Amino acid sequence: MIWEVFRQNQAGDYHTHCGNVHAPDREMALLFAEVQHGRRKPTNSLWVVPQEEIGEVDTEDAKFGGTTNKSYRFARTYNVEPAAEEVEASEKELTEAERKRGEA
Amino acid sequence: MNVEETKARASPREFSPKDDLPEEYRKAATRMLEFHANSEIMGAYLERPFIRKAPSLERKMAFSAKVQDEIGHGQLLYRAAESLGVKTRDEMLDDLAEGKGKFLNCFHYPLESWVETPMIAFFVDGAAMRRQATLKKSSWEPYAHAMDKICFEEGFHVKHGESILGELMNGSKKEQEMTQEAFDKWWPRILQFFGPTDDQSSHHDFAADVGLKVMTNDELRNAFLNTYLPKAKKYGLEIPDEPRIRENDDGTYDVVEDDLDWDEFFTIAKNDYEPGVGQIEGRKHAQDAVEWVRNALDEQEAIAAGGQSPQAAD
Amino acid sequence: MAAADDATFASTDDLDETEQEAVQDLLFRLADDELVLAERYTEWQVRAPTLESDISMANIAQDELGHARLWYEVLKDFGHDETDLIWERDADDFRHSTLVEQPFAEGDWADAIVRAYLYDVAEDIQLHALENSTFEPIRDRVGKVLGEEDYHLEYATNWLERLAADDEGRENVQDAVDRLYPYALTLFEPTDEEVEATIVERGLRGEDLVELRDTWHDRVSDFLESIGIEVPGLDLPDQYDVHISPDELPEHLGRDGDHTDHWESLLDEMTEAYDELGRDYATHIMDDDE
Repeated sequence: MIWEVFRQNQAGDYHTHCGNVHAPDREMALLFAEVQHGRRKPTNSLWVVPQEEIGEVDTEDAKFGGTTNKSYRFARTYNVEPAAEEVEASEKELTEAERKRGEA
Repeated sequence: MNVEETKARASPREFSPKDDLPEEYRKAATRMLEFHANSEIMGAYLERPFIRKAPSLERKMAFSAKVQDEIGHGQLLYRAAESLGVKTRDEMLDDLAEGKGKFLNCFHYPLESWVETPMIAFFVDGAAMRRQATLKKSSWEPYAHAMDKICFEEGFHVKHGESILGELMNGSKKEQEMTQEAFDKWWPRILQFFGPTDDQSSHHDFAADVGLKVMTNDELRNAFLNTYLPKAKKYGLEIPDEPRIRENDDGTYDVVEDDLDWDEFFTIAKNDYEPGVGQIEGRKHAQDAVEWVRNALDEQEAIAAGGQSPQAAD
Repeated sequence: MAAADDATFASTDDLDETEQEAVQDLLFRLADDELVLAERYTEWQVRAPTLESDISMANIAQDELGHARLWYEVLKDFGHDETDLIWERDADDFRHSTLVEQPFAEGDWADAIVRAYLYDVAEDIQLHALENSTFEPIRDRVGKVLGEEDYHLEYATNWLERLAADDEGRENVQDAVDRLYPYALTLFEPTDEEVEATIVERGLRGEDLVELRDTWHDRVSDFLESIGIEVPGLDLPDQYDVHISPDELPEHLGRDGDHTDHWESLLDEMTEAYDELGRDYATHIMDDDE
């Protein structure tokens, strides 16, 4: 049975996918993952999830964010200067996401 | 962990669902998150009619997207609250419907005209975003993670609101006058967004001590006024003489508390203020009307889990 | 149609007067349907059964608004602007089917899903019939619109399967089908007999309305019957006329400008702020699509 492994570098970070292990059950999967995926990279926590329990939708099946113009969802579209630093920070993140979407 | 240990360890994103946290922490965090999540829902409730009333197709699209985001924020925040193990999402949504769930003062008032929309979409959202940016450092990791995504989206909301305000204040004389009237009405409520001055706030000390909050109400109110007061003036809005706002030499502001209606504020805080009561009930009505759908989904879930499927014996 | 094969219209300049009228009618059908359907969908925002379904239904509404925007943009090439396309247009100049203007009874999520399903299948079939339209600005936009329709169809069918698996749900779905089916038939009514003939003759749309309707009816009834929902039969006259017998259609067709009273009150609500502010323009915040 295959278990997908998600690692968190340090407390407060997100768990991100880092690989998988073959194991007969959850306990063994954790033991294997601890060494296979946690022995060198900084690790605060690991999650293991049975591969078959993971659902997936990808760009073959889905048009994430749609195919028509949805620029109204992005701060950059609005013709005003950001009012505050947190608005500016958000606009930067949104614009970056919009740019990456455009490249995809 | 006991309370003292929790206080000692408290730092940004320190605690996650696997930590053994004292009940006081779990309850305080739940109260904060539930309030925040409820506010997203009731804010969306207020703004929804303006999807229909928006005076251009693209404004309509933007309003729909904004209300959609707010419900999305509610979804994130209820999850972050649920993970404390105190209340389920269903319980929180039911409490909101029954008038037991608390939410932001501004969302207890009716929102009737298009010219009022930037009062929420710019000023209240701007105030909320100021506060939310600081909550990225909350000690409850799921709260901070929810804030990452919420703040990512919120820049659109504030700019959308400001764009509407700018358009109205550069519009016809009639539009400008109507907008000024709306501002006069909303300004005191907006000033109350951050609550009374710190010494009157009952839950603050503990929430700050365990790192759930990182800034005081006064600090947040100051930061908000520093940015948004000049913005209001820039668009030609006149700041009402009352409530009096004194600017100190160090760039901070004092709002004269006696000029604000705290009786109304605390009536609202108890969910006893009339327009707010109607809004709570309006939402309850809508929620009840689709209970049959949730029941059908629950049934499906039970079948999927192998519980009560008629085919289970096959 | 042989004549249509070698004729293609790159822009409005290439159209004669009859063709101009036909293209505009075709665009009004498309745009008005999307606008009014989306307007009704947005009623579910903050009222949907769960937070997740709220967010996804809102998305579908925004998709449809985006499609309306795309089609209205083409109409601007004919000298229209948004104020006369939407905000200052008379209610009886709108060409949408009366299916999309019907109000939702409170909590009738089955209506929303059934309506979405009946509409989305029709739209899917119709868009495919436009993929080879002789009018390029339409042809060029079909792909973008179709790109978002797969999700809509999948969403509606998934919901229908789940609702129909539940006793109360199935009853509500059946009620909605019984009530909405006649209105759905108006999707395939012409705005005007002659104009419709031009649409087909000049290859603006690859199939005529009867062909579209038959394909739609077969697809819709196959699926709905598979989940235990009865669908009214289509009693076509022997001659297989353009029209189905009038008693299968509702009193108001929409396509010809004759709407139910619900439409006028909906349009009043939509234009309330525009009128209150005394506006004579509609704000654009996005760049025009190429």
